[in-house]
Amino acid sequence: MRFKRGVAVTAIALTSVLSVVGCAKDSASSNNSSGGQNGAAGCQTVDKPPAASGQASTSEVATDVDASSLKVGLAFDIGGRGDASFNDSAAAGLDEAIAQLGVKKENTKELTATDQESEDSKQTRLRQLAREGHNPVISVGFAYSEATKVIAGEFPNTQFAVVDGFVEGAPENVTFLGFAEHEGSFLVGVIAALESESCTIGFVGGVNVPLIQKFQAGFEQGVKAVAPDATVNSRYITEAGDLTGFTDAPKGQVTAKGLIDQGADVVYHAAGASGKGVFAAAHEAGIKAIGVDSDQYNQPTVAEYKDVIISSMLKRVDVAVFDYIAAVAAGDLANLPQVFDLKVNGIGYSTSGDMLSDETVDWVEAYKQQIINGEITVSDTPTTS
Amino acid sequence: MSTADTGPGSSVMTMPAAPRRRTLPAWAIFLIGVVAVVGVLATTSYLTGKPALTSSLTMQNTVTLGVPILLAGLGGIWAERSGMINIGLEGMMVLGTWGAAWGGLHGGPWVAVLSGALFGALGGLLHAIATVTFGVNHIVSGVAINLLGMGVTKYLAVLIFEPLSQNPRDSPPIEQFETFSAQPLGDWLTDLENEQRVVISDVAGLLGGLVTRVSPMLIITILLVVGTYLVLWRSRFGLRLRSCGENPVAAESLGVNVYFHKYVAVVMSGALAGIGGAALVLGSSPSIYSEGQTANRGFIGLAAMIFGNWTPGGTLAGATLFGYADGLRLSAGPETVHALLYAAVISAGLLVIWQLWRRKWRTAMLAAVGAVVVYALYYASDELPTQFLPYTPHIITLVVLALAAQRLRPPAANGVPYRRGEGD
Repeated sequence: MRFKRGVAVTAIALTSVLSVVGCAKDSASSNNSSGGQNGAAGCQTVDKPPAASGQASTSEVATDVDASSLKVGLAFDIGGRGDASFNDSAAAGLDEAIAQLGVKKENTKELTATDQESEDSKQTRLRQLAREGHNPVISVGFAYSEATKVIAGEFPNTQFAVVDGFVEGAPENVTFLGFAEHEGSFLVGVIAALESESCTIGFVGGVNVPLIQKFQAGFEQGVKAVAPDATVNSRYITEAGDLTGFTDAPKGQVTAKGLIDQGADVVYHAAGASGKGVFAAAHEAGIKAIGVDSDQYNQPTVAEYKDVIISSMLKRVDVAVFDYIAAVAAGDLANLPQVFDLKVNGIGYSTSGDMLSDETVDWVEAYKQQIINGEITVSDTPTTS
Repeated sequence: MSTADTGPGSSVMTMPAAPRRRTLPAWAIFLIGVVAVVGVLATTSYLTGKPALTSSLTMQNTVTLGVPILLAGLGGIWAERSGMINIGLEGMMVLGTWGAAWGGLHGGPWVAVLSGALFGALGGLLHAIATVTFGVNHIVSGVAINLLGMGVTKYLAVLIFEPLSQNPRDSPPIEQFETFSAQPLGDWLTDLENEQRVVISDVAGLLGGLVTRVSPMLIITILLVVGTYLVLWRSRFGLRLRSCGENPVAAESLGVNVYFHKYVAVVMSGALAGIGGAALVLGSSPSIYSEGQTANRGFIGLAAMIFGNWTPGGTLAGATLFGYADGLRLSAGPETVHALLYAAVISAGLLVIWQLWRRKWRTAMLAAVGAVVVYALYYASDELPTQFLPYTPHIITLVVLALAAQRLRPPAANGVPYRRGEGD
């Protein structure tokens, strides 16, 4: 008898499971169309904006100053001089200052951070530079923000700057050299919209943090400004707290492959070293990609894939470092821009490889001028989700 | 996911006190598990309209992301079966990535694999010397090796790779394996997949991902899984090695050289983690050593091993789970991962039926409640919070651990210090 009862109960359970199985959401099954409009002619674009008018004003900081008495200390982030990225760009700014402002090479000192070092060793490095009489002391990378705040309190007569840094309540003698990444991303968004054939565009972010969301926000806005119907799919490799999203090329490649599978034919990345995987996926699928931070077309590690890199969003750390040294030498830090944006040439885009048509460059220059004139305000937070 | 608690190894370690009815051999249970998982995924894919769940792209991503994890997990099995906790897998994997890039520069992909294994084995040897010979706490030594692995490779990268690549963090690209596809089988499966027929297309998609553009690395990995099983569970040497992990004093009294077996196990563990590093280098494009590229895969490998109850088959299932969930999230997006909730409901439903059949009323009740809760969650939301998505496999592992806690059994003397002649 018990056996029969077991069978009966099982049968009932089976029926109920089968009925649940039939209850998948209808909404889910209706939206599996992917690929956007696959019109080979490209996106429906808005009217071309008027050609660039008005002059691109460059930095207001005087560059005819004599900085030969300055002792400049430079604290690099992990990688140091020669990393073909951020630190190298900062070093280029210093070299420029040596060449043009008369800073003496023997009066400069460069120190480099090590992997996974403690807050203490950052402070020690800055303290050492300040104690040896370097003024200004420039540190590269967000990671230095807290350490600089502490050390600047100990040396009130020394000027400190942090590239890309920010922290609340820093003393007067700290300058944060921030960038308007969203404005540069807007411009490459314009490029992406013009270059896309399928009108579906992908964005790969490294880690889902506000700094990278700035890239996403500007990029999406740029695409929509040119082609309001375009689809932008944005993905992040890891969530906040897991920094491996910046160093995981295989995951970058998987992410980009997924976006391409869903119809994207231009992919922009803000994912650090994971971006190599994005280029690899673009190369494999024969689509276009846009680099970030430095001119990635000329980067040796991705030389294999440079034929897909149509442009890069440039963050001119060299300009910021140079302008800062000039401003310290001139003694007017007040005139230094709050944020290095398009107006002061702190942000830009690259055309290496000549893969952009003159027409595209005209569009981009027109939008650039509109942003500089304040006719377009680029948001630094994504609108969706 | 019934494969989790029934790997090939569970047959050997049966308790004498409670002889279980064994009607099916382990390979049959594994096969049934695979069929069940594919069935659940195919049903979910059909009912929720998400073909990405079983597409060949998803399968390829699973392989790309799963292979390094699986190799690290295999390394974990070797060490822990001999009673040595190896938390230094990550560091050995990092050594393996450097070794693979260095070897690959000089002699192509096969040399890269060997050289990666060699460098990983060196890390394993260090761990063995510290823990087996000098009795250092296994965790302390493992953590030290993780730090050392990163430090040493960083130093070596600056020394050897920087002059070649002008970049202290990267090596120059090395030659990749030629991939090959089983044609015309691959094309036929692609056609089948594109027809989008129920179940058939799903199976074709998953199979197609496995047989197109196969890298020899996948073959090596499968051979290593089978080899690990054969050596550890079907050879005299393996029995002795495992006895060192269960009761080293008893093994010693029967004349087994415990130190020797532990040394071999830990060095082998390092070599496998090193091959995992090589797989990572060869599996990324461009194929380079790049600082930080292991991204905690060594630790995930350990998690896959625990998921798999310290058996090769189970670890394979665990690594597949991690690879699948990560690949799906990255390539198909959050909405598709949401559909996995539906797969969870179906799985829970099947569990209810099975438990009812076995007349385990209470477990059946719990599973039914679980199914209802997950279904409510599925119905109430359109997308999972993105903050949770990367941790999908971790959460599944936790659930499996909680449900199968009575069945999971680490080696009895795992992590216990052993000194020759000092047992009582």
